[in-house]
Amino acid sequence: MSSLQTFIHQQRRDKSILLMTHVVYGYPSIDESLALMRDLLSDGVELLEVQFPFTDPSADGPSILHACHQALQQRPTLARCLEDIAQLARDFPASRILLMSYLNPLYRYGLDRLPHAASKAGIAGFIVPDLPLELADDFRHSCREAQIEPIWMLTPETPPARMQQICAAASGMLYCVSRRGVTGGNSTDDIHAGTGIDSTNHDGSRQALALEDYLATIRVETALPLAVGFGIRTAPQVQALHGQADIAVIGSGLLDAFNLGGRNAALELVRSLRS
Amino acid sequence: MQSDNGFFGRFGGSYIPEILHASQRALLEAWHEASADAEFMAEVDRELQQYSGRPTPLTPCPNLTRLLGGAQVYLKREDLNHSGAHKMNNVIGQGLLVKRMGKKRIIAETGAGQHGVASALIAARLGLECTIYMGAKDIERQYPNVFWMKQLGATVVPVTSGGQTLRDALDEALRDWSADPAGSHYLIGTACGCAPYPEMVAEFQSVIGREVRAQSLQQFGALPDRIYACVGGGSNAAGIMLPFIDDASVELVGVEAGGRGPAPGDHSIRLSDNLGSPGIAQGFSTMFLQDDQGQLMDTHSIAAGLDYVGVSPILAHLGETGRIRMTAANDDEVMQAFQTLLRAEGIIPALESAHAVAGALREIPTLSPDKKVVINISGRGDKDIFNVASAVQDAEFGPFLQRYLARELQA
Repeated sequence: MSSLQTFIHQQRRDKSILLMTHVVYGYPSIDESLALMRDLLSDGVELLEVQFPFTDPSADGPSILHACHQALQQRPTLARCLEDIAQLARDFPASRILLMSYLNPLYRYGLDRLPHAASKAGIAGFIVPDLPLELADDFRHSCREAQIEPIWMLTPETPPARMQQICAAASGMLYCVSRRGVTGGNSTDDIHAGTGIDSTNHDGSRQALALEDYLATIRVETALPLAVGFGIRTAPQVQALHGQADIAVIGSGLLDAFNLGGRNAALELVRSLRS
Repeated sequence: MQSDNGFFGRFGGSYIPEILHASQRALLEAWHEASADAEFMAEVDRELQQYSGRPTPLTPCPNLTRLLGGAQVYLKREDLNHSGAHKMNNVIGQGLLVKRMGKKRIIAETGAGQHGVASALIAARLGLECTIYMGAKDIERQYPNVFWMKQLGATVVPVTSGGQTLRDALDEALRDWSADPAGSHYLIGTACGCAPYPEMVAEFQSVIGREVRAQSLQQFGALPDRIYACVGGGSNAAGIMLPFIDDASVELVGVEAGGRGPAPGDHSIRLSDNLGSPGIAQGFSTMFLQDDQGQLMDTHSIAAGLDYVGVSPILAHLGETGRIRMTAANDDEVMQAFQTLLRAEGIIPALESAHAVAGALREIPTLSPDKKVVINISGRGDKDIFNVASAVQDAEFGPFLQRYLARELQA
């Protein structure tokens, strides 16, 4: 069992769900983004997802897209980002940090040397939305050698055979996207307690697939911890995941709270989600 | 040109978010079946003839030939397609494929607006719902095309993020596709993106080169010695060049947008002059304009349709192997070439296509008079009336617009 998976299992012994909070490195400035990360880690979030910004984040909605473009004004470098995360990892050993980015900044840094460098910085895993499993053989190999987890995604559109394939290849945890579309989105797209996800097609031809059913299907395939993300903003949404998932991912919701009321508002949101 | 599992050399591939995987697989399969189905490909050919007016002519240019004093010049007239550009070839093919797959909605991105108009036309003809993403900056440059898209019943969504050009529109189209992968088809306008798009779009565009081959043999009894095409995303270049890829005697020259000069943000040169570098973005691996952190750069061209940060993986590969020679023409050269062609032959090329003309005009005088050169006029220049009027500093155009506005405001 990987150390990330062991960590999540240990944390879950006395908690019904863990939180993974998402912060864009460099937004609104590098220092301010690091201050927010420190606040969140001090407050005890179990997992921190740090997004290294990219000009073309095609799986992200307007909130994160805007934050990435603002962050890029600071001309962040991945090397400095790894150093900053290393400091956070040393200061907050009770939490785990994941690095999220799109493929090109990572490719530019060197996909062969990144896993080792990131592992040395104390990063537990990678989330790379535009790297599909079948094109990741070399990267997975480098990750195995560096003992760092590439975290794979499942979506409501993932067919059963592929779900099996991804579950078989996965380690550490799985990131279960709760609905179609990009990050953020309006509340009608989001999951609501008990109502599940709206999986109707554009022409309305398909049946709604309840979130419980979606997660249960995944659960049959794997014993790995399940993180659920895309559109989680309220305590009832988090509570609805109790017993079905291990981690609730708070991304655009946290960013929107930060944009409205700064770090305090972001912390308030995180605390409200725990209640 | 057949890919090796989606790759052309080291370029291509399918680097897409998981949410799109099933839909992309379905498209791969549908294209695989349709491209092997003679009846389907015959239907595409029929529609190309009956709806777009193909074959387009190969026009000899005696005046230009005399003026340049070198090789004999011929133009492949993609500007005479319905909609005024080669974009029609692709939307007819993909549109019929969408019908075959049973989808009811298409999403498209557009730069100059030519692909947007072509998509809106085919959507109207085939009864498809159509949403088009266009950079806000491109909308300002090409509003007449936006006007026609809307008249044709398409929804045009301005993209205000990033540099507000083609690449941002492409990101936004991918986001839309992610929200409805099963119901919508992403009708990409060039030979870029994840598999099977580069191969499929290049195949639909290859009608251009197949016609050039037949017309050359018929009109001058030989294959052309040289072919020039402008390279933005690369679909018109791939279309005219791929049918000649095994004919070593035919030299293939791609002309990129040199813009205002070689400084970052001033041009769209990905393949010549060592300005681009390998990267993976927007669903595929190719040569991108990017900085040392892998951030994609802003680009510029006088021609909105060439203002793109990446390039077809097919052309990146053929550029790397040396089969295609890549060069660039800057904004000023392009305006000169544009005016030369206008006056010499009475043909108004799109500013995109004028890049191919500029590249050719530079070299033709050095070729011997028995050589034959074909320049791909990928589209017509009517859409560029505002940009050209401004570039030639036409004294009457501004006052005309003012009078027009005054009349409209009174009415």
